[in-house]
Amino acid sequence: MRKFFLPLSALLLSATPALAAGGHQLPLYPSSPFEGTAFSWISNSMIMVWIGAILIILFCRAATSKLSLVPTGFQNFAEWLIESLYGFFGNILGDHLVKRTFWFFGSTFMLILTVNYLALIPGVGTITFLDSHGHITGLLRGGNADLNMTGAMSITFALLWLYWAVTENGVKNFFAHIFAPKGTFTGIMKVGMDVIFFLVGILEIVSICIRPVALSFRLFGNIYGGEQTMEGLMALVPENLAFLPALPFYFMELLVGLVQALVFTLLSAVFLKLICEHSEEHH
Amino acid sequence: MFSILAVNVAEHGAETAKSGLFETFGVTWPFFIAQLINFLLVLFILKKFAFGPIQALLEQRKQRIADGESKLKQIEQQLADSAKHTEEVIGKANADAKRLIEEAKSSATALSEAKAQEAVATAQGIIAKAEAAAKAERAQIAADLKREFGRLVANTAQNATGGKLTADQQRAINEESLTRVEA
Repeated sequence: MRKFFLPLSALLLSATPALAAGGHQLPLYPSSPFEGTAFSWISNSMIMVWIGAILIILFCRAATSKLSLVPTGFQNFAEWLIESLYGFFGNILGDHLVKRTFWFFGSTFMLILTVNYLALIPGVGTITFLDSHGHITGLLRGGNADLNMTGAMSITFALLWLYWAVTENGVKNFFAHIFAPKGTFTGIMKVGMDVIFFLVGILEIVSICIRPVALSFRLFGNIYGGEQTMEGLMALVPENLAFLPALPFYFMELLVGLVQALVFTLLSAVFLKLICEHSEEHH
Repeated sequence: MFSILAVNVAEHGAETAKSGLFETFGVTWPFFIAQLINFLLVLFILKKFAFGPIQALLEQRKQRIADGESKLKQIEQQLADSAKHTEEVIGKANADAKRLIEEAKSSATALSEAKAQEAVATAQGIIAKAEAAAKAERAQIAADLKREFGRLVANTAQNATGGKLTADQQRAINEESLTRVEA
């Protein structure tokens, strides 16, 4: 192991000055290939999201164009995929909630996964142009290596979470779920518990407000970090061998892409389950 | 690797301090709103054209399977009811058959007894008739014998006397002979 890690460390350390001197790095922010035109709101990462969405829609249309009760071929694969996801989220959310919310979790999972994997296609991030700031920028950028995209998904989930939580619990129960003491207390104990649980409720509100931030930064950080690692590794060797050091990390990034899609949707599902837990029991 | 990231962060550090977190990460209203609308559109389209139809189909299939299972249970129940009913009918038929056989046996016994009685009566009648006939025949034979004997006695007496017996003598001889034969 030492035989492997020592030369690797030496290689990475030797590359640091080269990078600091202006080697190619993935910027933290997206850029618009259409800057200066009416389409300057279209970012390089957004194009990737569109491509991902189009691929998913084409896949689903192909799978659902000739739906039959006895599935074959493509429909079979799509049904297996969707049924597996449905079962996975159903185990977390329960029968009632999953029926109501699966469209969101299924779509988000597939979109994140597809966009993550699309970002690994050679050319994404390496076909570049010079942006208005004079930076060399990729014409395409991994969709989830953009905080705007991960933030948009997190905010959407946060709003839907609020809507689902209120409609499942009712307004009174929603607030009671956050602030009311868990258990039955009487006398002075009740007063003390009311105060404690009120303070806990305020912490819960802070936690709820932080969730979209955590969700968006976690996904962004992991995907951006992976891409930046590969960019950095590619800069270590001559251009015609650039693919070589990045190659092993492709396998890791395939895993990271899946894990991050799972983490985002899994955490979202758990957050929803936590707030709807009591009301779900009544269904 | 950490050194690479440290250099990267250091490069952007000054910019971060200057322009704030959002600008560092390129979070701007146009990009954010565009991504938000983009994401909502993707969600809507996937819900309508992908997950909606497939989920509906899966629900439909699940419903069909549930219906099939409930029908199967119904059929099993019907089968069990039918088997129970058949068993009851067979049991009843067996009981009826046993009863009929018993009745037939008892009536056959009664009939056989009656026939036997009848046969006994008939046989007794036949025996009585035969006895009566035998008695009459014996009486007839005895009468014939008496007559023949009388005739023989009369003939013998006639022959012995050379035909000189009177009718009264002959009758007395006959009567005496008969009395002796009967004794």
